Amino acid sequence: MSGTEFWATQFLNGLQLSMLLFLLSVGLTIIFGLMHFVNLAHGALYMLGAYIGVSIAMWTDNYWAAFFGAPIGVTIIGIALYTGVIKRMRKEGPMSQVLVTFGLIFVIVDLVRIVWGSIALGIPTPEILQGQVSIFGISYPAYRMFIIALGLAVMAGLSLMLARTSYGAMLRASVENGEMASAMGIDVEKLLFSVFCVGCALAGLAGVVAAPVFSATPAMATDILIPTLIVVVIGGLGSLTGAIVGSLIVGFIQTFGAVLLPSFSSILVYILLAGTLIIRPEGLVPARK
Amino acid sequence: MLEVRGLKAGYDEVQVVHGVDLDIGEGVFHAILGRNGVGKSTTLKTIMGLLLPMDGDVVFKGETISGKPPHEIARHGIAYVPETRDIFGSLTVLENLQLAARMASGSNPAWTIDRVLAFFPNLAGRQSNSGSQLSGGEQQMLAIARALLMNPALLILDEPTEGLAPIIIHQIFDKLGELRRSGMTMLLVEQNFQFATRLCDTASIFGRGQCVWTGASDDLRADTDLHAQWLGV
Repeated sequence: MSGTEFWATQFLNGLQLSMLLFLLSVGLTIIFGLMHFVNLAHGALYMLGAYIGVSIAMWTDNYWAAFFGAPIGVTIIGIALYTGVIKRMRKEGPMSQVLVTFGLIFVIVDLVRIVWGSIALGIPTPEILQGQVSIFGISYPAYRMFIIALGLAVMAGLSLMLARTSYGAMLRASVENGEMASAMGIDVEKLLFSVFCVGCALAGLAGVVAAPVFSATPAMATDILIPTLIVVVIGGLGSLTGAIVGSLIVGFIQTFGAVLLPSFSSILVYILLAGTLIIRPEGLVPARK
Repeated sequence: MLEVRGLKAGYDEVQVVHGVDLDIGEGVFHAILGRNGVGKSTTLKTIMGLLLPMDGDVVFKGETISGKPPHEIARHGIAYVPETRDIFGSLTVLENLQLAARMASGSNPAWTIDRVLAFFPNLAGRQSNSGSQLSGGEQQMLAIARALLMNPALLILDEPTEGLAPIIIHQIFDKLGELRRSGMTMLLVEQNFQFATRLCDTASIFGRGQCVWTGASDDLRADTDLHAQWLGV
């Protein structure tokens, strides 16, 4: 492999990680921005997406059934979490929310261990996405290309929805000033709930899409949480553009850091986080100006 | 149209409004006057449902609305222009208006986007600007335009003249005067005595979280003692 090919591959790897981080952080950041709710269990929903996908793929022997079924399954679990826990915790301070949702991670992880066991489970890559594709003169796994394309499609879809539809305008208004939005007749609670559901579905989607590459393991719940939170903080709470920018930065720093500065790679994102908090504590692309 | 009975309200442990009564009939412009911190804005916020009343009732068109969430109260036909105007800065002027128009009930609303743009011509050329690019006067006009688009039965305004240049205040006075002649009902909180008493039919004076005087604006303008006791600095 030549130098250029190596860097092109790393670039695509960075992009692919960025897309997974984006699918996770977009739900988390809007829930943060709109509900002022810290849901640390968001990573656990990602893990559940992978496991539910594993089971569906096993039963149906069909990747696409898992691809569509896992987000639905995770959304149903998310709705149960919302009505059972989150809705009651809305008025509590962030400390209680952090403690309760942090506790939820362990509950969900242990339930997953009971149901699926502790060994890594995989989903076979669908036939159509097996093998390699040629891009920038290098060959790259087709499935990873699919993750990149999916992430870009979700990005474009959400951006358009937010910028062009009346639902998007209601959402932007509510993130900016929930009190005024409700005084204008917008049922902000209902809007929040729909956003929460979309966030859960995207977390589930990220999980099932990641499973063929990384396998489903209980560690998914926590491994992805920290980079996702960093994306949210760097990008700016409640900001879709922030989630896009943050995911790309964190995805590329993690990927290229591991190649260029292996011994420092694990602290690079934290340095970035600290730097952002010092220089631009509101994030790079804050939702509220 | 709007009846407030024994309203008590405040923030967390601090009670600001200690039993307020108001009665505003249809087609009446009513002003609430008073010094800073006497509970004027708090009363408006509580009517709008942004604060939960500690006690008392708010009845609108015969229906008790106190305790309901703001979006339901808005859908009952009350539009609110807050002191801070609260234009959505991340939305364009047109989007601010569309959002409000979407909330209007009925298939044949009296106020349409075209009509509010004709009513406030300054906004017409600013449609694609973001809300954060507007001047204070334009923001106030947009806030009122937005409220009108909800085609409310009652318009609530909190200190619309605050921080505006005299010429803009004059424009807004004229526009609100037009609304008055069209039969709109309005509840106005205002520090600007001349503005409020010349615009409104009736007025209340608030002192220490209570309504200490209610009557015709003309009577209030004639009574200098009343003015000195409750409004003078």
